[in-house]
Amino acid sequence: MSELGPVCRQGLDGVSQMPVAEGKSVQQTVELLTRKLEMLGAEKQGTFCVDCETYHTAASTLGSQGQAGKLMYVMHNSEYPLSCFALFENGPCLVADTNFDVLMVKLKGFFQSAKASKIETRGTRYQYCDFLVKVGTVTMGPSARGISVEVEYGPCVVASDCWSLLLEFLQSFLGSHTPGAPAVFGNRHDAVYSPADTMVQYMELFNKIRKQQQVPVAGIR
Amino acid sequence: MEAPPVTMMPVTGGTINMMEYLLQGSVLDHSLESLIHRLRGLCDNMEPETFVDHELVFLLKGQQASPFVLRARRSLDRAGAPWHLRYLGQPEMGDKNRHALVRNCVDIATSENLTDFLMEMGFRMDHEFVARGHLFRKGIMKIVVYKIFRILVPGNTDNTEALSLSYLVELSVVAPAGQDMVSDDMRNFAEQLKPLVHLEKIDPKRLM
Repeated sequence: MSELGPVCRQGLDGVSQMPVAEGKSVQQTVELLTRKLEMLGAEKQGTFCVDCETYHTAASTLGSQGQAGKLMYVMHNSEYPLSCFALFENGPCLVADTNFDVLMVKLKGFFQSAKASKIETRGTRYQYCDFLVKVGTVTMGPSARGISVEVEYGPCVVASDCWSLLLEFLQSFLGSHTPGAPAVFGNRHDAVYSPADTMVQYMELFNKIRKQQQVPVAGIR
Repeated sequence: MEAPPVTMMPVTGGTINMMEYLLQGSVLDHSLESLIHRLRGLCDNMEPETFVDHELVFLLKGQQASPFVLRARRSLDRAGAPWHLRYLGQPEMGDKNRHALVRNCVDIATSENLTDFLMEMGFRMDHEFVARGHLFRKGIMKIVVYKIFRILVPGNTDNTEALSLSYLVELSVVAPAGQDMVSDDMRNFAEQLKPLVHLEKIDPKRLM
């Protein structure tokens, strides 16, 4: 599939975590997955990266607003290079242009970035017919903490119309690790899917991985 | 908390600091037509552009003396246009030779849920208004002639009343920090609008 100039591609995305295979490292599990995809006939199409920084309300602001310190996530997705996504858990997701990052610098007296909690996933994109599969290694700082798998079904933007198709495809190479329908669909099965929904799924995935124990480093080969 | 003066720092943390250079003036309602006529002659040839915008000003109060101000603006007459979020820093003082007001600015296009998001961040709306007027361009200079309308019932942009019997005229340029020759070009352009309107550097602090 070739892209002609800036194409507004929008499909339906399912983001899930692939547990690391028994006795194997993160890297080995990623290789297992990508090999399965290549055997299916998927074509490599460049790389992707999704990152997430966490901000919390500075103590000085808390008292006057009278609300518990909230966590705000600022995320970027290489599929949407000119955008920046800012979201609160169970709250609104703002889609803005990359100047939002500049604004966060101006706001540093009110919102502090927890530098150590920057998390990102990087990997390869595979195109298989109407499916775009992205398998990424999730890292926090120097350590690999897990694997993310994102599948986008291009032709459809309504969850209820194609979620089962997406699930079936996921099953064909994730096997028993296929997830259930993401919470982001909730009761909005007939709503049009948008990139913000993908970012919410990544945020939930990153939060889940942050809470997990660190994946043991592979034994020496 | 304001960032340190950015005039001398074209780049901070990998991003270019943009500055807004501003000259302001006003004309009484009955002089509007002659001003528009002259602007049409002096400015770039384009279809006369009018706009109706709704601006909301949000404040975030912290322990710092001055709250953080953000301006959220949306078009009332262009469906589908993104919301515009704007941060304006304190005016850079000092150089008396600089002909325009200079302040750091950050402009961000956002999705429609901007106001909900700002509230979630802890911002509270301080005031809102509707601006209705004309837009002209000359190269990188933007000239706006508009009237401010007070919103009588919060959130209801249909029920408004004009704030004054005049139109605000603003000549502005957004350019990277350090380009002070921009204010010379602005001053030269402003000369051509005299005596219809006198555009000058107005320090907002002196009005308070």
